[in-house]
Amino acid sequence: MKLVLTSDDRIGVLKDDGFVDVSAVFADIRYRTAKDRMPRVLGVFLERRAQVDEAAASGQVEAIPALQAPVPRPPKLIAAFGNYREGQSIERLPQDFFLESPDSVLAPNGTVVLPNHPATIFHHEAELALVIGKRCKDLPADASALDVLAGYTCGMDVSARGLGRSAPSRQGKSFDTFTPLGPAIVTTDEIADPNNLRVTLNVNGESRQDYSTSDMEYSVPEVLAYVTGFMTLVPGDVIICGTNHQGLGAMQDGDTSSMTIEGIGTLEVVVSDPQKRVWDRGVDEATAARHRAQRSA
Amino acid sequence: MRIAAFDDDRIGVIGSDETVVDVTDLLQQYDPLDAADLMPDLISHFDALKPELEQRAAAGGGKALDSVKLQSPLKRPTKIICLQGNYREGTDRPKQALDFFFKSQEGIVGHGDTCVLPPHQATIFHHEAEIAVVVGKESKDLSDDQVQDSIFGYTCYNDVSARGLGRTNISSFLGKSFDTFAGIGPWIVTKDEIEDVYNLQITASVNGELRQNYNTADMEHQIDTLMTHISSVVTLNPGDLICCGTNHQGLGSMQDGDAMTTAITGIGEFTLHVKDEHDRTWQRGIDEEMAARQRAFGEAAAAAARAEAEAAQKNGNA
Repeated sequence: MKLVLTSDDRIGVLKDDGFVDVSAVFADIRYRTAKDRMPRVLGVFLERRAQVDEAAASGQVEAIPALQAPVPRPPKLIAAFGNYREGQSIERLPQDFFLESPDSVLAPNGTVVLPNHPATIFHHEAELALVIGKRCKDLPADASALDVLAGYTCGMDVSARGLGRSAPSRQGKSFDTFTPLGPAIVTTDEIADPNNLRVTLNVNGESRQDYSTSDMEYSVPEVLAYVTGFMTLVPGDVIICGTNHQGLGAMQDGDTSSMTIEGIGTLEVVVSDPQKRVWDRGVDEATAARHRAQRSA
Repeated sequence: MRIAAFDDDRIGVIGSDETVVDVTDLLQQYDPLDAADLMPDLISHFDALKPELEQRAAAGGGKALDSVKLQSPLKRPTKIICLQGNYREGTDRPKQALDFFFKSQEGIVGHGDTCVLPPHQATIFHHEAEIAVVVGKESKDLSDDQVQDSIFGYTCYNDVSARGLGRTNISSFLGKSFDTFAGIGPWIVTKDEIEDVYNLQITASVNGELRQNYNTADMEHQIDTLMTHISSVVTLNPGDLICCGTNHQGLGSMQDGDAMTTAITGIGEFTLHVKDEHDRTWQRGIDEEMAARQRAFGEAAAAAARAEAEAAQKNGNA
């Protein structure tokens, strides 16, 4: 099932031939703003799955409306450092994560606005995103950990480089609009193996990133086990699993960036830069080489 | 005004007679979805609520402070933003680039609560006493003259920190995001009560032994700069916390059985208890190695800046 949130605040399911409104299943969930609604909805989604299935099967199919991010403001947005072998065969680096601003989330087809900060470049990073559906702590590093997931979605971890004190810049990933998410939360029953998915990203139709989640250093269950060894996760939390740096490139004014994860969907955004800065087009080969070197040392 | 959360998710003002006067009833009109909404609602509607809150505080007659269980005044801010470093620590080094990170809200604990050390192989668990700004309104791209209007008040913060976890070549600070690692309390003091926020003494003591003891006068990037810079990156929401960083002179270990008190003049103090099922022990007292490392870093940076200035002057004279 592909669960979505529409721009006019309806909850629905994407089907092969369109969209079905299933808001009625969650009519009793009180909320104040759309931003706070989805964590509450996701808190009951797994237990109401049969009702959602029924509503999706019997409801009127309509054209797919404009969408918000499926979680417009997660309680926590947790990001992996690196986490891909990038074609190298050295021992795994230790796992590590950091938190990003939950207010950085952007809707599908939204506009990434590059801020007036002296970044050396703004990179796209296509990532597999996990959406939490159950409160959890200290999960085991095996397939049973996946039971806490509401599902998967696409995440673009837009990254301003060279800001703050140390690289990689953490604050450079937390600007408002810097985490496009969506379009849908795809439930775990649709994905046979989250560590065997092709992830691609193109800019204005030109291919940049193209990698498989099978290259992940730490698998999805290992990611969940590690993070929940530190902190409790709650419904609506989002973990972005890190990127493969082979194929990163600049995002600049007027660009359309489109990422696709096999079986999950396509997430597209446009870029606006009021400062109209310009970088080289194409893949950032220097960054790619640096990451290969880091992992072949 | 001092505003606290207490007992079973109640909100109160501290009265002129030092009792806790329950004002939760005033917040029902905003239709809270759960207890986490109460304090942000009070903050968002403070101007309208202020006359009644002041009247109740003046009248007093609430519960004795020592008869209530204080809670963290904020249960679930949308963000806990923590400054990296941000004190000169007695050196005259030039300012470093302003940098910050986010901490998990699941870490929030209040006065009298227990900080539980995880089984992870940290090299040490440190306390970090800090002053935190409580954001008063939704804010983005603040100008200098908008900053004061966006500040609601201040509270005391203990940024409990596990060292030595994760990757060594990057600063993830995930070791600060364990559950129970964000101590906040004892209450929020509204900004009008603080005459000079850059002349407050911050102390950390463990089992009555003084550890950190520093003044906010030494703050590197001041609060106005923090607010304008951070709001140029993220949208701030009412109740968000901006923790201003710590002075590393006086850090020390937290270990099983410790009572760790964070205090700031004019704001108040709160205590966390420490539980470690693994009964690990570290040297008691101040972590002098950590303190010396930070001083050496500052002194080297100051010396480099002086050398650069002298060289520039010579070049100018030549």
